[in-house]
Amino acid sequence: MILQENQAFKHQFKVDEQVYIGFISVFEDRNSLHTDEEFAKNKGFRSKVMHGNILNGFLSYFIGELLPTEDVMILSQTINFKNPVYLDDVLNFEAVVTDQSEAVRVNTFAFKFINADLKTVASGKIQIKEF
Amino acid sequence: MNKDEILAKLTGIFHDELDNDGIVLSFETTAEDVEEWDSLSHIQLIVAVEKAFGVRFTSSEIQSWNNVGEMIDCILAK
Repeated sequence: MILQENQAFKHQFKVDEQVYIGFISVFEDRNSLHTDEEFAKNKGFRSKVMHGNILNGFLSYFIGELLPTEDVMILSQTINFKNPVYLDDVLNFEAVVTDQSEAVRVNTFAFKFINADLKTVASGKIQIKEF
Repeated sequence: MNKDEILAKLTGIFHDELDNDGIVLSFETTAEDVEEWDSLSHIQLIVAVEKAFGVRFTSSEIQSWNNVGEMIDCILAK
């Protein structure tokens, strides 16, 4: 297998205007929490909250573009949202291979996204198969 | 664990991984007998079985199995 147990990866993502607008234009989720500043503030957030599933796009980029091999596919992923992400937040992404199954060439990653306040905004697991 | 106990534990794993509590496993069950047991779910099953029983299989072991009973024999031999 190309990946090794405990192998770690880091990357920085920014939820900028292009990502935010692009997500809305493709998926058309214009829920007020994501698009209305006052609505979001009335719900206790400091600004409009970015779509959690933007982070799943970052995960796709990680698996598809940042690993040392392109010969991979995602089998499963789970993500837990712990803190809100706001427009222009810079997120430090960390992932580590926590488990491998040589027989079926499967790697399990634990990952987390950390914001500038060092709070984990999301964490989870991804299972991928090496071809 | 004896074979029957492993079969019972495997049945629970199959229920969870294949999202079907109606699956009934026997020693003779093959992938052809279980609609949800396809190539991708097979991978998930192997990973789940390894984790549940604390064992590691080789690719040649997996390829040698003809039915659930042979999977159980392999687990017992670990």
